[in-house]
Amino acid sequence: MDTFDLIETPEHVELEQPLAGIGSRFLAGLLDNLILAAVFLVLFIVLSLLVQLSPFEDTGAWAFAFLILIGFVIQWGYFVFFELRTNGQSPGKKATKIRVVKEGGTPITFSDVAVRNLLRAIDALPFYAIAGVTMFISKKCQRLGDLAAGTVVVSEQVSDFSARTDRRVRADWQAQAGAPALRATGLTPEEYRVVNNYWMRRGQLTLDARRSLLPRLLRPILIRTGQTLSDDRLETLEAYVELLMRQAWFAQTDAENATAQREGGP
Amino acid sequence: MTPARFLETRAPAWNQLEALVRKAGRSGVARLSDPELHELTRLYPAVAVDVARARMSRIDATTQQRINRLAIAAHGLLYRRPKARKGLAIVRFFARDYPRLFRQLWPYMALATAIFLAGSLGAYLTVLARPSTAHYFVPAGLDVVDEETDVSAGDVSERYRRMPGAPMTSFITTNNIRVAFLAFAAGITAGIGTVLLLFFNAMMLGGFVAHFQNHHLGYEVASFLTPHGALEIFAILVAAAAGLRLGLSLAIPGRVTRKTSLRIGAKEAVLLVLGTIPMFIVAGVIESFITPSYISGGLKITIGLAALGTTLAYLLVVGHGRRTRRPTPTNK
Repeated sequence: MDTFDLIETPEHVELEQPLAGIGSRFLAGLLDNLILAAVFLVLFIVLSLLVQLSPFEDTGAWAFAFLILIGFVIQWGYFVFFELRTNGQSPGKKATKIRVVKEGGTPITFSDVAVRNLLRAIDALPFYAIAGVTMFISKKCQRLGDLAAGTVVVSEQVSDFSARTDRRVRADWQAQAGAPALRATGLTPEEYRVVNNYWMRRGQLTLDARRSLLPRLLRPILIRTGQTLSDDRLETLEAYVELLMRQAWFAQTDAENATAQREGGP
Repeated sequence: MTPARFLETRAPAWNQLEALVRKAGRSGVARLSDPELHELTRLYPAVAVDVARARMSRIDATTQQRINRLAIAAHGLLYRRPKARKGLAIVRFFARDYPRLFRQLWPYMALATAIFLAGSLGAYLTVLARPSTAHYFVPAGLDVVDEETDVSAGDVSERYRRMPGAPMTSFITTNNIRVAFLAFAAGITAGIGTVLLLFFNAMMLGGFVAHFQNHHLGYEVASFLTPHGALEIFAILVAAAAGLRLGLSLAIPGRVTRKTSLRIGAKEAVLLVLGTIPMFIVAGVIESFITPSYISGGLKITIGLAALGTTLAYLLVVGHGRRTRRPTPTNK
């Protein structure tokens, strides 16, 4: 399964749009269905009260007719309406920060939305099992409706993206723990590894874990180098770690470029 | 250029573009002033190129992701379809595109009709020849003839009369539209689901009519079924044609890839099935108010056939003339 949808721009640069996983899509679907259930319940209660209070004899029949009709419209129209209106986000998707887009990143049109949501009739069969299996098998985590409409659901979780890392780049980064990086940062190889590991993995740690972990990791280094930081808030400590990482990285890449030029670059 | 220089020289552009993207927000470029819009179009291509440069010179992951995300956001702002005026889109759809689409997809309609006729005629002839087979085709709940002795089919209508018209219309209409949606969606099984759905329902109908005819109630059942049934069955056939379009686009892609074929097929099919909604609404109103009414059987049948005739005339006549644009993309 891919984790990115590639957007080929007219500038011939490929942009990587992260795809939403089965988990967040299931959560979004659950939220949307809870909202639908709540709306039906409220509608039912209001109409029941209305019928009880109404002085007319056939209010019940009309209320029943209205309930069937509006229920049908809401059930089939909910996703179409919201996904069109907000450019691919039903309320559940908005809450889980995911969005429906056309493959290749362009916004969805009416027929895309209609196709993917009418095919819910099949995807939703037994408890969205068909959708689940299809998303699991398909390359871009698409259910049948997505495959037919040519849409993907992408993740827009930007909150802590600075803390995320790409596995390919991480391999490079660790390989860069060479002499220039160590010289620039003044760290020992072990210390470098500890700090670097923390920096790469902090996106997967909770804030509490980071708060308790980082001071313990940094204390021996600060004692050895005789440095003190202005305070021990997490922001300050992480700023220090980031500084170390950038120093290491600049030193390393500059050294590599220098080597490349010495060895007869252009 | 060293990575450090790269970051230093390009960071101002990124910050600027980030500010513009944030300002445009959800509602798009409409929020930007003219100079800002100009800035956006100037900054975006450069930042897109930065993404490639950053990747090439192995800039750190954090920065790579930052500008990648920034470029996606700006790309999303700049490359989008022009907004069609919504009200007009629906009018144009029914005034021109839908009848055209129907005519363009006539082979699928023919196929659906053939499957329907095979099922209904097969069951009809079987039950006529051997009346004892009726129970294979007619569900027990509808078998009023055997269930209650001395019931004439004309008084099947009597059951309808006991229900108030408004909830009836709602229920029948929404239920039929639901079946139509299902006939379309079942097409994703390479059409098999649609064929089964259509075939079994056709058999039920054929067996039902023959069963009543065996009890010498042919005219009664015709006057009961035709007023709403003519249009309703036709609309179901259109929905089944949509399911077949979807299914066959997947099963027999032709000269394009299966994926592309499915996309094109799904788009045409969904529009075809959505156009049946008004037909079901008309049929539902007829079924609730005319079918159970006390007017003569002949008049009822005439109304039913007139409803079907009008629909057919609309689908075959409307929207001819100069083609400004093909209603849907085709795979030619």
